[in-house]
Amino acid sequence: MTNTFTFLLVFLIFNFLLLTSSVNAQQVSLSISPPLLELIIKPGKSLMVAYRVENFGDPVILTVKLHNFEPKDNLGNIRIKDEFSGPIRFDLDNADQELERPFFLKTGASQQLLLRIRAPEGAPEGDYYYTLLAEAAPPNSKEGVASTRGRASIGSNILITVTDSGSIEVKPKVVLFDLLTKLNLFERKLRVFDSFDKVPLIFIVENKGKNMIKPEGKVTLSGNFGEQIKYDVIPKNILSESQRLIEATPSANINCSGQTCLTPTSLILSGFFIGFYRLSTQLTFGENSPTIFSATNFFAFPFKLTLAVIFVLIVTIIIVKRFSPDEDD
Amino acid sequence: MQKFRSKLKSFLFTFDFLIVFLTFNLLLLTFQKVFAVDMGSPRFQIKGGNVNSAAGDKSSDGYRLSDTIGQLAAGEFSSTGYVVKAGFQYFHSIIPFRFSISNINVVLDPNPIVPNSPSTANTVLTVYFGGAGQYQVTAIEEEPFKTLSGNAIPDTTCDGGVETCNETQAKTWSSSTAYGFGYNMAGEDIPTDFSSGTQYRPFPDRSDVESPAVIMSSLNVGKDRQATLTFKANISPIQPAGSYQTVINFVATPSF
Repeated sequence: MTNTFTFLLVFLIFNFLLLTSSVNAQQVSLSISPPLLELIIKPGKSLMVAYRVENFGDPVILTVKLHNFEPKDNLGNIRIKDEFSGPIRFDLDNADQELERPFFLKTGASQQLLLRIRAPEGAPEGDYYYTLLAEAAPPNSKEGVASTRGRASIGSNILITVTDSGSIEVKPKVVLFDLLTKLNLFERKLRVFDSFDKVPLIFIVENKGKNMIKPEGKVTLSGNFGEQIKYDVIPKNILSESQRLIEATPSANINCSGQTCLTPTSLILSGFFIGFYRLSTQLTFGENSPTIFSATNFFAFPFKLTLAVIFVLIVTIIIVKRFSPDEDD
Repeated sequence: MQKFRSKLKSFLFTFDFLIVFLTFNLLLLTFQKVFAVDMGSPRFQIKGGNVNSAAGDKSSDGYRLSDTIGQLAAGEFSSTGYVVKAGFQYFHSIIPFRFSISNINVVLDPNPIVPNSPSTANTVLTVYFGGAGQYQVTAIEEEPFKTLSGNAIPDTTCDGGVETCNETQAKTWSSSTAYGFGYNMAGEDIPTDFSSGTQYRPFPDRSDVESPAVIMSSLNVGKDRQATLTFKANISPIQPAGSYQTVINFVATPSF
């Protein structure tokens, strides 16, 4: 009897411990697709685009909304505005969904959002930039404790060009195509590098037009003996009346470490350089668009290696002189 | 003989119990929650932003086309009155843009907050973006860290003097007599001013019409980017008691 009781006790306690579920922190994990939409549209036209929002975290209450955005800097970061403005009209074609109306999304579930985009008749020509935000409601507050609650949102950018004729204004200008160097002589920048140093390029293009543009082209490195290396420019959008740092690939920016990587650069050249080099670029912005050019030079020499060799030579000469037998002896 | 039978009975009883006990526990241990997914079976699971079986660059004498297929509205198409492009044409990503926060209901520790003894808590932010993922994550507090009755712990200015921090510049906050509420970042793609675990910034305050601060951003190629955000609060002995709370708004967006 005692044995049976003991066994039953152990059995029940052990199973009770196994049945208790683990407690996890409240996690939010959302994805959105597609992450970017570019649209050129005539006034009076509309189209429907299907988005998908997926919940990989705990169950959430989501609200889908649209905000305007503007470029924050020349690195591609954005500033989302609090208000909505512009002539473009957005609606959801889903039977059971509306913009700004919360809906529930369980763990592992996804929701297709059929976004209707309409440019009304008479909409002024120009560019309009929006972010589609899927916003998770923050959790309920915990009473009696000091706590912070997070409201997580994930966004997808929508770039809209309204044009009646289909023509786009392309007005690019190279603002900067230069090497990042710390050497200055009489307030003039010296483009001189050690042969083993990385050579960082900064390349900024300004879009002075009223429509976004996308650069295509190459950055070319030409050496003393006619050798050339070409780097493809990554075709990223430059929004109207803004500047953007142009990036080229393949670049040593990938897995970059050290001081050179702290400043955003367009291209980091690495290798062994000796002599004069010329860096040039040629960009186009689609068919029948103007082509823009720019170029710069630099000189590379193994200064550190030369200094080391000279130092070793001097030390060797001193040692040899010091320990060589005196001629008088 | 009877003694032997009794011993055998006792042994069989114990053996039966052990069998039942172990079988039951094995069943309990193998029981796990299974979540339904769109595509898959108990043996496999397919996840993908798009199906790249035919994606890539195509060209002939007459045309050059770059596309991704399978993704909703992906690729380039034209119709009367509009042209639309979805997704980044310069890379073919199979990983959709995804943002995770490990904990959105963070309790500061120790709790309650003790004067001159900072309370802290962490949450981990993760951004998944295949290929040349350029993105940003911003943060802003909806209102100051305060009680329902309106007593607020002010936003930190860090240690003060040359170590005075603001919404865009982190500085050292290690003094036990420097009071306020702020945050530190550690990990990948964080602002360069967070050079150590003692560098803090205050959150921008939406009720003060301030702009959100960029707390993670990347220009370079990356897939899973992770950073830890540490909240910190330190109060003076005259800080009123209460349940201090705030909502931090985190927004993750890809670039354009």
